[in-house]
Amino acid sequence: MENIIEVKNLAKVFGNQTALEDVNFSVKKGETFGFLGPSGSGKTTTIKILTGQLMQTAGEAEVFGVKNSSLNSGSYRRRIGVLSDNSGLYQRLSIEDNLKLYCDLYDVPRKRMDEVLELVNLADEKKKIVSKLSKGMLQRVLLARTLLHEPELLFLDEPTSALDPANSKQIHEGLRRLNEKGTTIFLTTHDMSEAETLCNRVAFLHKGKIQLLDEPMALRRQFSDGSVTVELRDGKVVNLPGGKEGAEEVYNYMSSNQVVSIHSNEPTLGDIFVEITGRELV
Amino acid sequence: MTLSWKRIYAIFQKDLKDLSKNLYVTSIFILPFLMAFLYGKMYDANLEIHYIIINLTLASVTAFIQCAVIAEEKEKHTLRGLMLSPASVADILTGKSLVSFILSVVTIVLCAMITGYEPANIVYVSIAIFISMLFYLALGTVFGLLTRTVVEASVIFLPVIFLFGFGSMLMMLVDKYPVLSFIEYLPNIQLVDFAYKVEEGAGFGELWSHLAILLAWGVVTIILAAVVYKKREIDK
Ligand SMILES: Nc1ncnc2c1ncn2[C@@H]1O[C@H](COP(=O)(O)OP(=O)(O)O)[C@@H](O)[C@H]1O
Ligand SMILES: [Mg+2]
Repeated sequence: MENIIEVKNLAKVFGNQTALEDVNFSVKKGETFGFLGPSGSGKTTTIKILTGQLMQTAGEAEVFGVKNSSLNSGSYRRRIGVLSDNSGLYQRLSIEDNLKLYCDLYDVPRKRMDEVLELVNLADEKKKIVSKLSKGMLQRVLLARTLLHEPELLFLDEPTSALDPANSKQIHEGLRRLNEKGTTIFLTTHDMSEAETLCNRVAFLHKGKIQLLDEPMALRRQFSDGSVTVELRDGKVVNLPGGKEGAEEVYNYMSSNQVVSIHSNEPTLGDIFVEITGRELV
Repeated sequence: MTLSWKRIYAIFQKDLKDLSKNLYVTSIFILPFLMAFLYGKMYDANLEIHYIIINLTLASVTAFIQCAVIAEEKEKHTLRGLMLSPASVADILTGKSLVSFILSVVTIVLCAMITGYEPANIVYVSIAIFISMLFYLALGTVFGLLTRTVVEASVIFLPVIFLFGFGSMLMMLVDKYPVLSFIEYLPNIQLVDFAYKVEEGAGFGELWSHLAILLAWGVVTIILAAVVYKKREIDK
């Protein structure tokens, strides 16, 4: 499949602090790519470089075949949508007035407004003044604004951080629908379950480098120790290691008909992250 | 660089609507009107007074409102959205200057009507004020880009309003201390000198040097604004 984003040996140093040391990855057309890492690991920095807001110290970043030096051109901007971790809206204006401005800036017909508001479930709220909106609604308006010009590639920087589960779910549904229609999504998050439900592939960023990169299921298989948890009729729960020894015990429990349930213990993405980095995601 | 009037107009419309709901910034309008009413009643207003009001309008309405609307875009993280859109630097800065420009023109015209200023040659005076406005708009833009919040911008802008708004008082200093004679080249002083010459019936031959100085101020400040903007657009 065609690569939309191509990042090679990317490095970014702020003063004497290295944010990115040697980052390499590519994103395929049509996928939802999760860029995971604890806060301060350089996720926002990477998005800023890819969207022409920041110059890297070394290495290459190429999007749609456009090289880093042209990542701030108008024609590139028309193809991407950016929802950054501190995007803002005009507080004194209504949702509608905020979106109208962006329709005109991107030269799209005003009726697109209703389509994007529909997508984020805000069609009935468009007359509301932005300063009166909840955090979840604000984030949905920002997403709607990002989608007005039907970007081929979306950069979302922690789109659901600080949102309650109901609002996160609405955003996830919107993103899934977009992805089904062919939009490529580059998403940063420190929410592992979000990554697991949305992403085709995930990359773990830590200490300025990508530590792991694969499909969530493949990672879970790779890091599985083959152990199983067995629940028995007498209420006991036992953890059995993989291999012959464990298999014999499972055999014994099953032959004596003591088993209520058996579950394989593949780790969650969060578990894998802790194993790789020795720290929790925050 | 190409200008897109559709984008410029969209930013203008947004700013106008936004400003109409922004009491903090619009309260600055009271200043020139208050002066116009006071002086208009108290004295048989002379040229000196007309230009105290015009220079005050240029410093407060033109430059300060420009500074405040730009600073607010930064404070509320909305400038980044404009920068990430296909709008060019010129689109954004022209669009963002249009509201302060139009409000300044309206203020100056209304105040002149209140104080009864009727220039001997309205075309010359209009050209000089227009060129001055380019300088004040760019000045406000630079300050707006360099400060982080509207409140910070207002504090930093106070001496600017004083310097340019009440600059004719500075001329008394120049008479005392010749070292300060560079003050004569400030755009507000140049505008007053220009206006006196117009009243004396001077022609373009005597007037162009003032216009050239005003234009130089404008061009330099506009370039400065564009450079600062570009710096803000891409962090190094
Ligand atoms: N403009 C900047 N100047 C100096 N240091 C910065 C700047 N931006 C980010 N950093 C530093 O770079 C590192 C990565 O930051 P960031 O990309 O924001 O991380 P994340 O988005 O993963 O939380 C952090 O240590 C941060 O302090
Ligand atoms: Mg971040």
